[in-house]
Parts: sequence; structure tokens; C-alpha cells
Amino acid sequence: MRTRLSALLRSKTPGGWLVTIAIYALALTWLYPFAWMVTASLKPTAQIYTTGLFAGNWTLDNFRFLLATADKLDRPFLAALGISALVTVSVTASVLVTSAFIAFALARLRFPGRKLFGDFLLLQMVIPTTMFILPLFVLVKELGLLNSLAALVLPFMMSGWGIYMMSQSFRSMPEEYFDAARLDRASLWQTVTKVVMPLNTSIIAIVALFTFTGTWDNFLWPLIAISEADRMPLSVLLATFSKQYGGYAGPVMAGAVLQTLPLAVLFLLFRRQFLQGMALSLK
Amino acid sequence: MIRWLNGGRGLSREAIVGLSLVSVYLVFTALFWAYPFFWLAKLSVTQWRFFDEPTFVGVRNFVRAVQDPQFLGALWNVVRFLALYLPIAFGGALLVAFGLQHVGRGRAFVALCFLLSNVSSGVALSLVFLKIFSSTGPLNNSLYAAIGVRIPWTNEPTLAMLAIALVVAWKFVGYYGLIVYSGLLTVPRELYDAARLDHAGRWTRLVRITLPMLNPQLMMVLTFAILVAFGLFTEPYLITGGGPADSTATPQMIIYETAFRRLQPSHAATMSIIISLGSYLLVVLARRLFEKKVVIA
Repeated sequence: MRTRLSALLRSKTPGGWLVTIAIYALALTWLYPFAWMVTASLKPTAQIYTTGLFAGNWTLDNFRFLLATADKLDRPFLAALGISALVTVSVTASVLVTSAFIAFALARLRFPGRKLFGDFLLLQMVIPTTMFILPLFVLVKELGLLNSLAALVLPFMMSGWGIYMMSQSFRSMPEEYFDAARLDRASLWQTVTKVVMPLNTSIIAIVALFTFTGTWDNFLWPLIAISEADRMPLSVLLATFSKQYGGYAGPVMAGAVLQTLPLAVLFLLFRRQFLQGMALSLK
Repeated sequence: MIRWLNGGRGLSREAIVGLSLVSVYLVFTALFWAYPFFWLAKLSVTQWRFFDEPTFVGVRNFVRAVQDPQFLGALWNVVRFLALYLPIAFGGALLVAFGLQHVGRGRAFVALCFLLSNVSSGVALSLVFLKIFSSTGPLNNSLYAAIGVRIPWTNEPTLAMLAIALVVAWKFVGYYGLIVYSGLLTVPRELYDAARLDHAGRWTRLVRITLPMLNPQLMMVLTFAILVAFGLFTEPYLITGGGPADSTATPQMIIYETAFRRLQPSHAATMSIIISLGSYLLVVLARRLFEKKVVIA
């Protein structure tokens, strides 16, 4: 152990160590806004700007205010948390299942128009989605879905990007797996869920993570589609609360913590797949 | 049990299964992509106010959009944003990439520190930065304690834009850095060895070898940065609200205001088409100007 440590110490020059320390310092500085957010959410509002980062009287009052008292200000945060969770989980599950099956078809099945379909997906990915927000609003209004959960879920149930990313990964699987599945007379469902998905967990984790983050933190679309406070997801309710009650810095920061927490936890849980997947998506 | 994977004879079961899976997506995309696309095209050549019948006006919407001073101001703000954002983004990305190359063992930890901002909530962190940049916020408090000045981040046009650029850079630099780092891994070591034999200094090696070899990755960063600039909404909407005096109002904010506050969907649709074309053209132009095919002879 000691020899290893001294080998490690000798592996860099004093200048090299200085650079290493500087890099770690910068990396930790990058986390400062998170640290400030968490500590601010745990202090009384009056102390947020006047005390140091880790000083002050710790309390959970801000969270209590947000989840109980804010209800009386017509800001139902508990309901918003539920809506966000329901919408995000439905969209992510739907995108994962549909992407896996359609990507399997695109990558491994022979059918007329296959190449055309792949090109079409690429075209869709090039056209920026923000362009569609206004006409999508018109459509959702025509369908009578404004201010409903369906407005937040239906337009995002499938993803061309998800299909494309998964098909790229499925394409590189050896044909032998499918020969074996054919010999065993595996059904379509079995082939995708028992053979394809377990062998491509990295790309599935990446699609899941990005879909989850994008849906949970989607702001512009729910801001447009939902105007009633008791139907808003957390992101929009928090923003409107902050615009109207900016003085309540403590509760706003508590809301920011709630909005960030699921994303940070997922990121840390899936960090290995995420780093692998990042490298995948960069090729 | 149905044999559905049976090689390729005629319009086999395989083709039928493939076609039906794909058609599920095509139905979805017809409703939520093609139909809105059609509406966007229709809105851009008609006058409509959400409730009445659309009337055909030809190119009048486009003429009106390119004469709208607020819209032109928002386009100019994209340029101002890029002027501040690109140096920070490229500098930061190179710093992170060289840093990752340097640290060795703790690489995953450092990468995760820089990437957490990329995958966490834009809404929540915009609210956090709203407080951090405020006149009595922690940034100004520590500046005041150190050198006795406070920076009016949100009261001065250039400073407000710089604040937005810093927040967006904080969010994306880790991701850009990882892109550049993946490029650094592909540079052959022999090139540096040969350069050292020729007594090329550290700076010469950086400018003559590393940066040219990183051209594909730097182009990717530039493309992403341009797309981010045109798509900006959450950060300026929550941090500056577009102010002071519309100096941080982005095209997406103007489109949102026009469509849903002033109820002029035709005008907004036309602007969003121009914005999409504009971002596409800028990306193409950037590629023409800076993309180099690097061949090791």
C-alpha cells in the first residue's frame, strides 16, 4: 500500500501536482451553486444572504412551508410533484418500450422502405423542435386537451431520437444471437425483451436518462399548455411561484432542491452507463 | 408459435412485422409532427388570431417580421450572446478536456462534477443564479468584502448578457469538455514525439498539432453552441426576464410573447420559421468557414 502511494506521488512533478489540485478545485467550484441551493433551502429566508455558506440556523421550515402552507396561496406543490412524477414516468416508459421495438425493426428486420425510414428520422432530428411548439398548441387546443395531463404526455410518447440512438446500438449486435432466437422460436416480444434489451443496457440507460431529464425539466411547453395552478407540473409551478413571491427566497430554494433532487439522484445512480453512453453518442 | 423471423421470402412475416412496427411511429408522427408542420406553413401565409378564420395574406407576414424592431433586436441579441458565450465555452471546454487528460485516476470524479450541471434542472438552477447574481447575493457580497464593489449584474445590458452567458456556459462546459476530450484521445502520440524532435515548444505543439487535430470536435462544440444560442428561453426568461430594455430578450422569448401574450400566432409562426432557417444557415456558414479535413500525410 505504501509503495503504491509513493509510486503515485512520484508519478507527477510538483508542477503537475499543482495543476491537479487546481483542476480538482475548479471541479468542486462547479458544484458551488448546488451547495448554495441546498444550504439556502435549509435556512430561514432572513439568513440566506447574510450568513456564510455553512453558517445559520438549520431548519426544515422552508420545505414545510412549500408542501403545506403554499397550498393556501393556491400553489399546490405536493400535487405538482405528483403530476411531474406521473408525467415523467409515463413518458419515459412509453419512449423506452416504443423505441426498443421500432429500433429493433429498423436495425434488424428487412422490410421495404427501411432506409427511407432511417433517413426520415435523421431529417426530423435536424429540424428544431421549438419551431413546433406553437402549432402543437393549436393541435392540443383543437383536441380539447389544454390543461390536462394528456397534453403533457401524448405529444412526447415516442421519440425519433430514441429510436435512432437505439437502432445504432442494436445494429452492431452479432447475428448469432438472432439465429439462436430463431432456433428457439422466440416471439417478437421475447426477442426484444430477453435478447436485445439486456445486451444494450448502456444505450437504454442513456435514452431513459435524457428522456426523464428532458420531461421532468421541460418548461416552455407546460408553461403554454397548462394555465391552471392545480394542473401545473413542478417546473412551471415553481417558476410562477418565484415570479409572484420572489421574496420567499427560502421556499423557492426548497422548491429548486425538490426539482433538482430526482435528476441528481438518477445521474449518480447511472453515472457509469451515462459516461459510457456519452462516449457512444459522441462517435 | 408463429415463425416470424424466417429469412426474406417475398413479403415475409418479417417484413410485415417490421412495417407494422414502423407504421405505429408513422401514425404518431403524422399527428404530432406532420400536422403541426402543415399548420406552421399555413400560419406563415395567413392572418389568424386563434378564434377567427385564417385569411390568406401571402408574404406580408415575412415582410412584417423582418421589419419588426423587437424581432431584429432579438436576433442581434443572439449575436451579442454568441460573442460572449463562444470564448467562455471554447476556453472552458479546452480547460476541462486538458484537465481530464491530466488528472488520470480521478478522471470519472472530475467529469461527473462538471457534468452534474448539464443533467440537472435548468429551471431550478436559473432560480438559484437569480439569487446568486442579485445585488445582495453571495457573489456580490464576497466581491464587496474583498474589493469593495458590487456588480449590477441585471441592470446593465452587457453585464446582464454576460450573466446569462456564464450560466449557460456553466451548464454546458462539462459536456463540451467531454466532446473535446474524446478527440484528444484520438491524436496519435507519434505526432508529439516527432514535434519534440524538431524542438517544437509547448505552444507550437498546441497550435500546430492539437487544435488542428481537434477540428471535428471543436466544430461539434461550435454547432451545439449556435443551436443553444437560438433556442435560449428558460435562463433569460427566469433570470433577467429579457431586460434591461429587451437587451437579453431572445428570439424564443419574443415568439412566446407574440403568440401567447399578444395573441398574434401568425406573426409568431413566421418568426419561428425565420429563426429555424437562420440557425441552420449559421451552422452551414460556420462549417464552410472553419471545417477542415485533417489528413496525416
